[in-house]
Amino acid sequence: MELGFNLQALGIEWGTALMFGMLIALLLTGMPLAFVTLLVALIFALGWFGPMSIPLITSRVYSFVMNFVFVSVPMFVLMAAILDRSGIARDLFDAMKLFAGRVRGSVAIQTVFVSVILAAMSGIIGGEIVLLGLLALPQMLRLGYDRSLAIGVVCAGGSLGTMIPPSIVLIIYGLTANVSIGDLFTASFLPGFMLAMFYCAYILARAYLTPGAVPDIDPTPVPREEKLRLLKGLALPILVVFMVLGSIYGGIASVTEASAIGVGGVLLSTVLRGEFSYKLLRDAAMQTLATVGMIVWIGIGATAIVGVYNLMGGVDFVSGMITGISDNPTVIVLVMMAILFVLGAFLDWVGIALLTMPIFVPIITELGMDPVWFGVLFCMNMQVSFLSPPFGPAAFYLKSVAPPDISLGLIFRSLLPFIALQILAVGLLIAFPGITGR
Amino acid sequence: MTKDQREGEIDLVAITEGAARIAPEAGLMGRMVDRVAYIFAAGIVIAAAVLLMEVFLRYLLNRPTIWAHETTVFLCGLAFTFGGLYCTSRNSHIRVVLIYDWLPNGVRRVFNVIISIISAIASAFFAYAAWHMVTRAVWAPSGEIRLETTGSAWSPPTPALIKIFVFVIMILLVVQFLILAVNYARRAKG
Amino acid sequence: QEHSFKFQSSDPAGNPNFEFQQGWADLVAEKSEGAIEIEILPVGSVVEYNETLDAVAAGILDGQICDSSYWAGKDPAFGLISNPVGAWSDPEQMIDFVENGGGKELMQELLGSYGLQFIGVSTPGLEAFVSRVPLEGVDDLNGVKMRAPEGPVANVFSAAGASPVNLPSSEVYTSLDKGVVDAADYSVFSVNHQQGLNEIAPHPVYPGFHSLPLVEVSMNKTKWDALPDDMKTLLEETVKEFQQTQINGNREADEAALAEAEVDPNITVHNWSEEERAKFRKLGVAEWERIASQSPMAQKVFDTLTAHLQEKGMLE
Ligand code: NA
Ligand code: NA
Repeated sequence: MELGFNLQALGIEWGTALMFGMLIALLLTGMPLAFVTLLVALIFALGWFGPMSIPLITSRVYSFVMNFVFVSVPMFVLMAAILDRSGIARDLFDAMKLFAGRVRGSVAIQTVFVSVILAAMSGIIGGEIVLLGLLALPQMLRLGYDRSLAIGVVCAGGSLGTMIPPSIVLIIYGLTANVSIGDLFTASFLPGFMLAMFYCAYILARAYLTPGAVPDIDPTPVPREEKLRLLKGLALPILVVFMVLGSIYGGIASVTEASAIGVGGVLLSTVLRGEFSYKLLRDAAMQTLATVGMIVWIGIGATAIVGVYNLMGGVDFVSGMITGISDNPTVIVLVMMAILFVLGAFLDWVGIALLTMPIFVPIITELGMDPVWFGVLFCMNMQVSFLSPPFGPAAFYLKSVAPPDISLGLIFRSLLPFIALQILAVGLLIAFPGITGR
Repeated sequence: MTKDQREGEIDLVAITEGAARIAPEAGLMGRMVDRVAYIFAAGIVIAAAVLLMEVFLRYLLNRPTIWAHETTVFLCGLAFTFGGLYCTSRNSHIRVVLIYDWLPNGVRRVFNVIISIISAIASAFFAYAAWHMVTRAVWAPSGEIRLETTGSAWSPPTPALIKIFVFVIMILLVVQFLILAVNYARRAKG
Repeated sequence: QEHSFKFQSSDPAGNPNFEFQQGWADLVAEKSEGAIEIEILPVGSVVEYNETLDAVAAGILDGQICDSSYWAGKDPAFGLISNPVGAWSDPEQMIDFVENGGGKELMQELLGSYGLQFIGVSTPGLEAFVSRVPLEGVDDLNGVKMRAPEGPVANVFSAAGASPVNLPSSEVYTSLDKGVVDAADYSVFSVNHQQGLNEIAPHPVYPGFHSLPLVEVSMNKTKWDALPDDMKTLLEETVKEFQQTQINGNREADEAALAEAEVDPNITVHNWSEEERAKFRKLGVAEWERIASQSPMAQKVFDTLTAHLQEKGMLE
């Protein structure tokens, strides 16, 4: 069958350029990301190899949806969806009041602490930002916090879910790069906390250096009984963290199974709190299906295009180009980071991981660098992608629950200092790989 | 703020809050997809329960099953595949709205029609390709029907079932995109 | 060049077995004086490892180098011929069966019906067993939680009283390290050792007793038929050379790794006695019979295999 166009005549250089141009142009029309990548994969499969090659795309779709490691995605989403519908996070937030102490900016600090605990329970963002947007943001605004500081803390803090283990970003990386997910989790603990501490340091700096950025300290002490009551709110979240991370590090479950243990833990918590109902579970499951459909189909589109591009010989071409840039491995890593920043502005992290990691990871290994360290670096880089405009999922999530006078433009402006902190963290990980403990 | 910008936000609320909101343009089919979605959502919960049970049996009783993991993968595979159709009916697939949001209403409607038609055509190609996959998974070279299995110790026919399901979903996607295109076109005129 | 082919491997780039396969591609280019150019693609680059047969049949890929047991889901016969648990204790025995004992003809019959041509056979060698607990024989397998490979091997371990757990290869290291499983089927001794498995699970069994995978080199039949006869012969001959290089290379690597492991005070290498190996083989044979009943081709594989073993006096 002759289709009247033969893309192969372009050669891999122009083929790559055309593919990239087509992706960007179609994306800008507002066509759903998943179908943009699927369509471009189809056009190149047809134009480069002919109709007999299209089953390659459906074969990859099949393999993608039948992957055991991917089972953790719906589990973490389900867990967050149940958490959203319970009062667990609210009580946790109240309890953290006790630890933020009587410093200036304590509610913002408290929000970061809550973020860290939520992050250690689950592996995704979205649910966490919505929760914090409903709990912490109104309180900070009411108390007179600077609006951009409050917005930034919620978005940046809520994004920590994928930086502190467990994390589906690291799980997908481990899958693509074929490195141990357990090692990735262990290596990302310290960098994740480091980033959270950067946020705290920034809050304190603003609190003590910028007049009016945060309200004055509330001098009324919390009574002892109240303290004990608040502390109870900490019990169930800690239990879930213990169940998820404990089952992985205690040798009870594989990483994928641990995500289901998290679901069990959160469900058990709602039962203990008397909040469990059939409706709660049903709504959470329906939301999970919708969210997972989005995430997985972005992955499906990306895996399709990667397969076609591989058959075209594109991966060799791109890795040749990247390694040709410099003899200095650090320069190559910096170029990779720059590519990820740019992609992160436009694409979802699932797509980025599946598109770039099959190219980047072999280069990293060949240069003698540690793929686990690189995975943590990638994960840190994806923190930026959540916040960076125009496609910043964290901002979208917050916008969906913020008061109407908070515009997307304001949210993105508020995120700039936090993006700077994330880039600083990326830089530190490159300069001092030892932070990952490797 | 235009009405459509608000619609965009409502989609995001739908994502985060999970309230079932089928796009009105998806028509009767969209509402049916929403009904059926319940089964696949339940599948995810069952998958979680099966995994929990497996950990329990293995860790406490030292008796892992040979079917738990493959069952989980199958249930999640069904949900993943169906999720694509579900998000299409809800119009909640992620898109970059950088330029799209600035387009005048009329132009945006035309864009919606064209995007839906192109997506329908692409899905039709994938349905054709999925059919190839199905023939290999369902019929042995001798021509007799034999569902492809995983080849594991348990060896359930889930590969063949998922391949058939991918084929069915691709066809349903074609139908759903065409319905969307027609309804966008109608609204553009009216 | 006159012929340019893309073969997908079931090994990742950088894996020693992948390098041996690339060595085959180089050898083909050299011997054909550039007339045949073969590009070896790493696992998963075009389609997933368990989808290459369909991709080669459809002409998307030109050929594949992979473990034939991946096709057990299409016909149980593939599972039996590629890994008759307990049949082989040396790679040469398996290769002798394929090349002279009727195996080649069976492989061609099986693959031919899917539109593929069987070119030749190789193997990484006898896999070693990774374990956290000391195993001196079949009885010690009782209650051991182990990561089981795909295919009939899991059933044999089940029959031996072990509890097979299905885990993706990316989770093997962590799961062994944390004790989610006590033992694992993974790869040959040198690869296990290089990946640090013997350190976290310091009771390896070597030589292994459970698995000696048949790795097939096969290609699209239409494209094969279009090749001139001398080129067909050249491909078949070079596969035999590649097979010897791979077996000897891995054997040397295994021995080097073994020497390292033996001086390591933390690692105890266990070697099963002949009686224990025979016991395990007996469980394997029961499983062969079960598989044989599942399809006509599986029965044919069973008959040919047992006839060959009988003739060689390997079936007591
Ligand atoms: Na996390
Ligand atoms: Na972004």
